[in-house]
Amino acid sequence: MREASATDRAASSVMALISSPLGAPVRAVARIRASVHVKLLAGFLLITLLFIAITAVSLRAVRETARQTDLLDQAQVRVGWSRQIEHALAMQMHFTSMALLAQSEDSVGLILRENNRFNDTLARLETAAPPEERALIQAIRVAQDDAMATVADIANAVRDRRMADAMTALRTRQEPIYQKIETLVGSLVAAEDTRMASLRRSIAAAQARSLRQMAGFAVAAVAVALIAGFVISWSFILPVREFHGFLSQVAEGRFGGSVAVPNRDEFGALAERMNWMSGELRRLDDEQRVAAATLRGLNDRLELASRAKSEFLANMSHELRTPLNAILGFTEIMLDELYGEVPPNLREPLVDIQTNGRHLLRLINDVLDLSKIEAGRLELGVDEYSVQEIVDVVHASLRSLAIEKGLAFSVWVAPDIPPARGDGRRITQCLMNLAGNALKFTRHGRVEIDVRLDEGWLTYRVSDTGIGIPKEEVENIFAEFRQVDTTITREYGGTGLGLSITKRLVEMHGGRIGVESELGRGSRFFFTVPLHADGGPA
Amino acid sequence: MRDRTVLHIEDNEYNRKIVRQLLSRTSYRLLEAADGEEGLAVAQRELPDLILMDVQLPKLSGLDATRLLRADPRTAKIPLVVVTSFALSGDDRRAIDAGASAYLAKPYSPRDLMALIHRFLPEN
Repeated sequence: MREASATDRAASSVMALISSPLGAPVRAVARIRASVHVKLLAGFLLITLLFIAITAVSLRAVRETARQTDLLDQAQVRVGWSRQIEHALAMQMHFTSMALLAQSEDSVGLILRENNRFNDTLARLETAAPPEERALIQAIRVAQDDAMATVADIANAVRDRRMADAMTALRTRQEPIYQKIETLVGSLVAAEDTRMASLRRSIAAAQARSLRQMAGFAVAAVAVALIAGFVISWSFILPVREFHGFLSQVAEGRFGGSVAVPNRDEFGALAERMNWMSGELRRLDDEQRVAAATLRGLNDRLELASRAKSEFLANMSHELRTPLNAILGFTEIMLDELYGEVPPNLREPLVDIQTNGRHLLRLINDVLDLSKIEAGRLELGVDEYSVQEIVDVVHASLRSLAIEKGLAFSVWVAPDIPPARGDGRRITQCLMNLAGNALKFTRHGRVEIDVRLDEGWLTYRVSDTGIGIPKEEVENIFAEFRQVDTTITREYGGTGLGLSITKRLVEMHGGRIGVESELGRGSRFFFTVPLHADGGPA
Repeated sequence: MRDRTVLHIEDNEYNRKIVRQLLSRTSYRLLEAADGEEGLAVAQRELPDLILMDVQLPKLSGLDATRLLRADPRTAKIPLVVVTSFALSGDDRRAIDAGASAYLAKPYSPRDLMALIHRFLPEN
């Protein structure tokens, strides 16, 4: 019950999935004519490509940021240089004033040194500066050249002691030039500052943008991975579910159904094989049913035939016995002289008729017994029986024959044997067969019957000092119609069925029969049966 | 006291002849019937002292006839020996179950039959 409800739940979730919008892509993926391997590979490849794209985008963003940071660094260097230029300019002005105050030419050398530094720095700046700043730098250079020309004039005036001219040149020419240069450098610095600010802004913007891009890609990658995983896996799970239901049907013995899946991959091929299998199972099942019906019919007919055979045997048994009864009966009452005195010359042929009649009776009995055993019609009448009684009956029945032949005939039964269970009459028949054979095939000496009980098994043993059985015949001795040779039948009589019947009866009791024999010295036949035999089918 | 009566129900003429011969030198009165129906009728009419019943009879089987005789209060107590086909065939058990007093397997020794008759019905 619990399993059934779990299956129902699973089935309803499958139905919900198939009717949802995801059902369409699931079916679409299932319908793709590609192997499961390729589909899985494609799914993983798709996700891998997304991650490669994310990596590329982030690499580009990093490179862009690095470039802009580089630009920023350069601008910073240029601002540094601009500050150096400003400083060199201030030093020039300072040294120029010093030259005037000290009226010394030494200061002029210092001015030149500062000028050189100014020019060097400006040259570096010019190389590094963006084109829009070139004009400004050019203007600074022109102004600086002017300033240097003025410095030269001032220096000449100082050398010539024309201090007034030098002062005038300083105030009227040199100072405005310096101020101009200062202004120009100031605007250069300002331009660089502006550029740096804009660079910083653009770096921040670029970083924000790449962050957004990467987040977007990551979200897209996760979404695509989830959807692809879901769709691909369900395109496999759905047919597996179908197979599960289908195979459950088959397992319950409902053959001939079919399974339909949209897949055109291995699952589709599997479904095809399953449908083929289902058809085959249906066909085999039908065949088997037909065969079973045929067998039932045959069995019924066999049963009828077997019953007919049994009836025939029973009838034959009666039909054969009735005239035999008359033959033996008339012979006996003639020998008993109920019809008057028997002439001596007729007595022998009458005894011959009687002997042969009895032999015919034994043959009939044995053949009927064997037929019944063969047909499985012989049932044991299981009851309690006394081993001692059986041995006594056999002894009493055969004693006269032993006396007639001059043989010692003794019996011995172990004293501790409790009442046994089995078909006492059949056990008697078995023992009678063995003891009868022993007496029949022994001319001199003795025949002994002994019975022992050992761990719940009864062993009946008949030993004789008779003709014995050749080694090569021992194996065949229990087969039907086997006597060691046909002359024996003539000399000793017997039907050749006794041992075979005895063997079957012993086996029906769940026991076994055996013989130890030495040619010319005697034989020892024995059979072993359970003390409590159930008499199940042989 | 009248002679003890034995009813022999048997369809085979020769077997009837044997019993006839056996009883010819005794004081028993012998009645014969050749099938089950006739045997039943004779038994109910004559009320014999002993019945010898063959198991396989025309018209009415020996076992069925035995059952009917046992069901009839007039014949219920009459000693009845069923002559079976074969001691080991199960007929003996069926005979006792049907109500037979004893059974004798065919072919029987006439001596054994006489002994059985004497057992159930001592001669006067």
